[in-house]
Formats: sequence, structure tokens, C-alpha cells
Amino acid sequence: MREKKEKQEETTQLVLFKLGEEEFGVNILQVKEIEKLDQGITRVPRAPHFVEGIINLRGDIIPIVDLRKRFGLTLPSIGYDSRVMIVEVGEALVGMLVDAVVEVLRIPVSSIEPPPPITAGVNSYYLSGIAKIDERLIVLLNLERALSAEEAKELAEAELG
Amino acid sequence: MEVSQYLNVFMDECYEHLQSLNQSLLDLEKEPENNEILNTIFRAAHTLKGASATMGFNKMANVTHAMEDVLSLLRQNELAVSPEIINILFESLDVLEVLAKGIAGGQEEDIEVAGVLQGLKKYSTAKIQREEPVKDERRKSLELRYLPDEKERISKTVAEGSTLHHLHVVLDKECLLKGARAFMILRELESQGEVIKTIPSDKELEDEKFGTEFIVGILSKKPLDKLVRFVERMLDVKEVKGKTCNPDDILIERRGGVVKSNTNTTKASSSKVAMSISPTVRVDIRKLDDLMNLVGELVITRSRLEQLSSENEDEFLEEAVEHLSHLTLDLRDQVLKTRMVPVEQVFSRFPRLVRDLAKETGKEVELQITGAETELDRTVIDEIADPLVHLIRNSVDHGIEPPEEREAIGKPSKGVVSLDAYQTGNNVVIKVSDDGQGMDAEKIKARALEKGFITQEEVENMEPEEILNLIFLPGFSTSQKVTDVSGRGVGMDVVRTQITNLGGMVQISSIIGEGTTFTIRLPLTLAIIQTLMIQLGSEFYAIPTSFIEQTISVSQKDIKLIRNQEVTLHRGEVLPLIRLQDFLGVAEAKNPELEELDVIIFRKGERLIGCVVDTLIRQQDIVIKSLGSYLGNIPGIAGATILGDGRVALVLDLRSVA
Repeated sequence: MREKKEKQEETTQLVLFKLGEEEFGVNILQVKEIEKLDQGITRVPRAPHFVEGIINLRGDIIPIVDLRKRFGLTLPSIGYDSRVMIVEVGEALVGMLVDAVVEVLRIPVSSIEPPPPITAGVNSYYLSGIAKIDERLIVLLNLERALSAEEAKELAEAELG
Repeated sequence: MEVSQYLNVFMDECYEHLQSLNQSLLDLEKEPENNEILNTIFRAAHTLKGASATMGFNKMANVTHAMEDVLSLLRQNELAVSPEIINILFESLDVLEVLAKGIAGGQEEDIEVAGVLQGLKKYSTAKIQREEPVKDERRKSLELRYLPDEKERISKTVAEGSTLHHLHVVLDKECLLKGARAFMILRELESQGEVIKTIPSDKELEDEKFGTEFIVGILSKKPLDKLVRFVERMLDVKEVKGKTCNPDDILIERRGGVVKSNTNTTKASSSKVAMSISPTVRVDIRKLDDLMNLVGELVITRSRLEQLSSENEDEFLEEAVEHLSHLTLDLRDQVLKTRMVPVEQVFSRFPRLVRDLAKETGKEVELQITGAETELDRTVIDEIADPLVHLIRNSVDHGIEPPEEREAIGKPSKGVVSLDAYQTGNNVVIKVSDDGQGMDAEKIKARALEKGFITQEEVENMEPEEILNLIFLPGFSTSQKVTDVSGRGVGMDVVRTQITNLGGMVQISSIIGEGTTFTIRLPLTLAIIQTLMIQLGSEFYAIPTSFIEQTISVSQKDIKLIRNQEVTLHRGEVLPLIRLQDFLGVAEAKNPELEELDVIIFRKGERLIGCVVDTLIRQQDIVIKSLGSYLGNIPGIAGATILGDGRVALVLDLRSVA
């Protein structure tokens, strides 16, 4: 009886990754794949500064976003295990540069709380919540906002002046 | 709704039929007596009617139905082809086109069709009283046709001892509620055997959508004369004719035509669909795009493999790779071919355009088309229509003189606009020419000065051809009077932009009094483009050759600074120079150590600009890919391509330099 109840509890599956020592999570359904960055990134002039460039993913051109630069984070890089997480945002595929991919975790939806105005240096506008699992604090990204094409365009235009 | 998946097919067919209707109507206008053309028109209208009714687009069905009424009167010589009728038919076509667009946009309901319906009915109702002889004509051709599964059922039942009879029932003209009457007859007949099929369908019969007669196909064990008498006895029945059919001899119904199941029978059926058409398959263009992409990948992998095998010095490997190479290139050519469509698809709408324009402007114009079979990539075809329409409008409106004027100067009163297409190498050339008054360079010059586009000084040094090119400047218009047709001052610049966006170019040549020719040069396909690969620092870039006027080598010492702008002399002209690293906004060192610099000359508007690059590598065909929707359009970057070694190179569009 008790088991059944637990099963019914709504859960969500996250892919956890690290920027510095902070743990971030995104919904697994949005993650297409995780790649090692073993090729050069081709720089794209006039793109927003947080776009590192483009790579060839089996024939598809994928833009690479440095989340650190995207959020203006000053977190020190641990940089020994960096990966590219390819995520789907609307129609677009975008690669996010992260320091390490930690694990895939299933959490109860009830453990997600609304984010405080600023968490780990990131404005709550770009977050969908904070999950507290045991002693861990996981920052959940709202990819639609963090990787919005419109916002990228506006930022690029602002940067070009 | 389930309809949606058929909508695309319907729309495609719809546009095809509209196009063929347009063409045939033009032909009919020229040869009003030609029955074959009339039949083609009738068939197209008929098919369209059926398709639109099936899809539930009632307005379109109504209009085509009304057209069909008029057309069938024309076919039976009940009505003569007159300019008024041609006009109302053209008008109907225009309405149909609007409806088609409305359907695509989901707004069929809001479109007004009453006017054209009334126009059509004026002709068809004038003759409607004399319907009887028409019916007689139809009766002969009213054969019952069966679907394959119906035929199967017939054969089975016949094997069990029944016979297939066709009953032709004519109701009394005075009969009220003939729908109900027909329904009664059918129900009574059910007691005598199995009714397989009726024409019109039982639904139509019930809805009174028939004249006074119908045909019933019935499987029964009773003899024919008994059945005939059985029906004759019923109320309101004027006449019944019957025929017993051999199931081996029946007609099979198919979409779009009738095929006789037994080819040995010589009886003529309505088999006028004699045109030889090779079987085709409709394919979503996106699937072809995907295929093209994959082939592009294959081509790239091929060159990588070639590179690897040449390093390996293994004879067998090399042989295999070479074979693979050939296959890959063949495959690429074939895939490219599947995307090719004849320019006729675009050209076919122009005779109508020219006809209407000539009427509007009161000129006599003949359109001559050659090379309509020349093929272009589908994507190019879609984009080229607008610029061509504009050029043709210009030719008729500004080029061709009014008939009196032409006669006065000894030209035939009828002007000629010609449209020629042909292929040269990897390009397709389309020429739009007219035998009109030509363009007056002096007038253009004056106009450009007046509008302040150029200075007196600049004009002095211009070649005649450059002066003609001034009409491509935004806001330029030489027309003294603004007409309905053209001359609104927008256009020529848009025309050129559209063409250059396709990787093409346009040139003008004109002789006063003799005419003007616009020559458009287009790439065969957009999927694979020819580029010049260049290197800057450690990165590679591709520049489409269609953007490049020429490449030159400039010695470091020949570069001067004028008002903070680097320039050099090229053919006696001052050529402003930009550095590629400045264009890209990347901080690469300004290669001072090189004696000779490679410079790519490109055209921006009327100016030539040189772009200094590090190293020219080679010409290379590439498959261009978009940067994706996240980055969107970045000025100066046309896309990206994947090189043989898997690296990504940007494709540059130098024309967007400031």
C-alpha cells in the first residue's frame, strides 16, 4: 500500500552538471546528447560574446554557448572534465559548455521550490526552480529563457552597438 | 481533421489545374474553334470541381461547377466562344486562384464569389431550356463503372447464378420530389436483387442532385425484361431501358480516368486521356532537402577518404575509394536532378500576364518563349518568379510602344517580349527582352543626378552600361507617369536583390529604338555552391564565387592611405580596400610581412571594393548549411559548411560590409 503511494508521486528526471562547484539540472527530455569536445570550435564573428562558435555534430551545425559567460558567472573553472551538452530549445539545438556532467537523477516534483531572486549568481528569470535533495542544492535551469534565440539576437545587436 | 493530410496534395493539384486552365484558355482565345482545347479545359475544370467538392471547399466547387456548365454548352456547340465568355472564364480563374490562396490560409469562407457565379450563370441559363439533346448525348456515354472490389463482388455473385443488369431509368419531367421517387425505386429494386451501384450515387439521388434520369447496376436472378417491366410499373417512371452485362466486359473506375478491364473490346469509351505521362511520385521537398544534405555529407566524407587513402599507398584501397568516388558523384548528380524542375512552371503563367498587361495598357504584345524545358533547382524556381514578373511588366509598360507609335516609326504594330532560358555550364541564363523603345542613358543620367544618386563628376567617368545599371538603385524610377502596372519607384532594386540573394546576377543591355534585354544568370542549384576557400590565421572561410568579381594580387607598397581608408589603384581606378580581419572583427595581426597580398574584388551596389585576405587556397564546391535558428541571420555570414576533415568553415557574404 505504502509502496504504491510512493510510485504515484510525480517525479521528474534531471541531468545534473557542474559549473564550478555549483550543481545545475535540466530536464532530461531536453537533453539530446552529451559530447566530449574533441574538435575545434569555429568562431562566429558578430555573434553574442557568450557564443563560443559552432561545431560539426555529425553533419549538423551546432552553436556552442558558454553558460559561464551567458550568466556572467565568476565561478572558477574546474576544467578537467568539460563536456558539451546538446539540448533542444524550441526548434533549435544548442550545445552548452559545462565543466562536468555528474549524473542522471530522478527527483520528486514536490522537492522543487521557486528560486530566490539570485542563486549561484544566476538571475531567477533564467531558472525554473531549486531542488533540495538531502543535503544537495540543485539549480534548475529554464532553457527556453536561458537560451532564447530572441534574447541572443538582442544581445548581439546591443554588443555590436 | 483527417482532411489536413490531403490538403497539401489537393493544393498542389489545384495549382497545377489552374495553371493548365490558364494556358488552355489562352490557347482557346487564339483558336476559339478548337474542340480539343475546349475538352482539356473542361476536363481540368471537372477534376477541380470533383476534388474541391470532396475536400468540402464548396465555394470552389460552386465556381468550377458553374464554369463546367458554360464549358459543356460550348462543347456541345450550344454556345459560341466569344471574347466575353473568355473574359468571364478568365475572371473565374482569378477567383479560383484567390480561393486557392484562401484555402491555404484557411479563409475560404470570406471570399466573395457571387459576382463571378452570376456572370457564368448568365451564359449557362440562357440555354438551359434545351437540355434534352444534351442528355441524349450523355446517355450514350453514361456507362456504369465499377471499383475493383465491386467488380470482384460482381464476378462472385455472377458465379452463383445472378446476372448483372444495367437499368436506365427516366423519370417524368413533371415528377415532384424526384429524389424521394428515385429512393423508392431503388428500395423496390432491392427486393429483386442486389443494387451494386447507381449513377448518380444514391446519396446524390436522394438529394435530388440529378436531372430526370439515372442508371442502376443490379445483380439479380430475374431476367432483364422482368426487371424493366417491374420498374416501368412504378409511379412517375417515363421510360426504362435495360441491358445485360457480361461481368468480364465491365468498366473499371479509377481516379482521373477510365480503364477498360478487358482491353480486347473495341467499343470506344471516353478514353481521350491519351497523353503519354510517365508515372511520377509526389515527394515532400523537405525529404529531398534531407536527401541532398546526406549526399552532401557523403561527398565530404568521400574527399576525406580520398585523402586518407592517398596517404596509405594501398593500391586496392585506392581503387575501391576511386570507385566509391565515382558512385558518390553520380549519386549527387542524380539527387540534384530530382530537385530540378523545368522553368516552364514559372513561364507558363506569363502568357496570361502579358495578355492582361497588354489589355490594360492598350498595347499589342506577343510573348515568345524559348527554352521552357530548361531545368532549375526547385528552390530557385520558387524565388525567380517575382523578379521575372517585374521585368516583364517593365518590358510591356515601359519598353513596348503603343501601336500607333510603333507604326509611325516603321515597326510592326505588335510588340514582342521574349523570354529565353538556356543552360551554360553550372548556370542557367534567363533573358527577358523586348523590341520596344530601349532605355535612354541620357535620361537615366539626368534622373540620377536630379535625385542626387551620383555626382556630375562620377557621371563623366561612367561606361554606358554602368549608367543603365543605375536603375537598380533603390528609389530610382524613370517613368514620367505612374501607371497601374509599374513605375512606383520600387522594384528594380528589389529585383536585383532577389536575384543576388539566389547567388545570381543581372545585366542590362539596351539600344535606343530597338529594345532592351535583361540577362539573368542563376546557379543551377542552391544546395551546392562554388566557393573560393581562403585562410585567415588558422581559420578557413568560404566565399561564394558568385559574389566575387575577380581576384588580384596587390603589392604591399601599392596600398595607400586616403582619409584613413586603405586604397589601391586598379585599372586606373581607386579601389577601396578592407581587411578581412576587420570585416570579421577578429583581432588577427595585419600580415605586414607579406610582400604581395591577395585581394578579392566584389561589388557592393555600384562600387567595387577589395577585400585583403591572407591566402587564397582553392576553388571548392561546398554544401551550405544554415547556422540554425538559435544564431539566426548574422550579417556578413551566409552560413557554414563542413570541410573534408570535419572542421567547420563559415561562408561569408562580403556584400554586407558597411
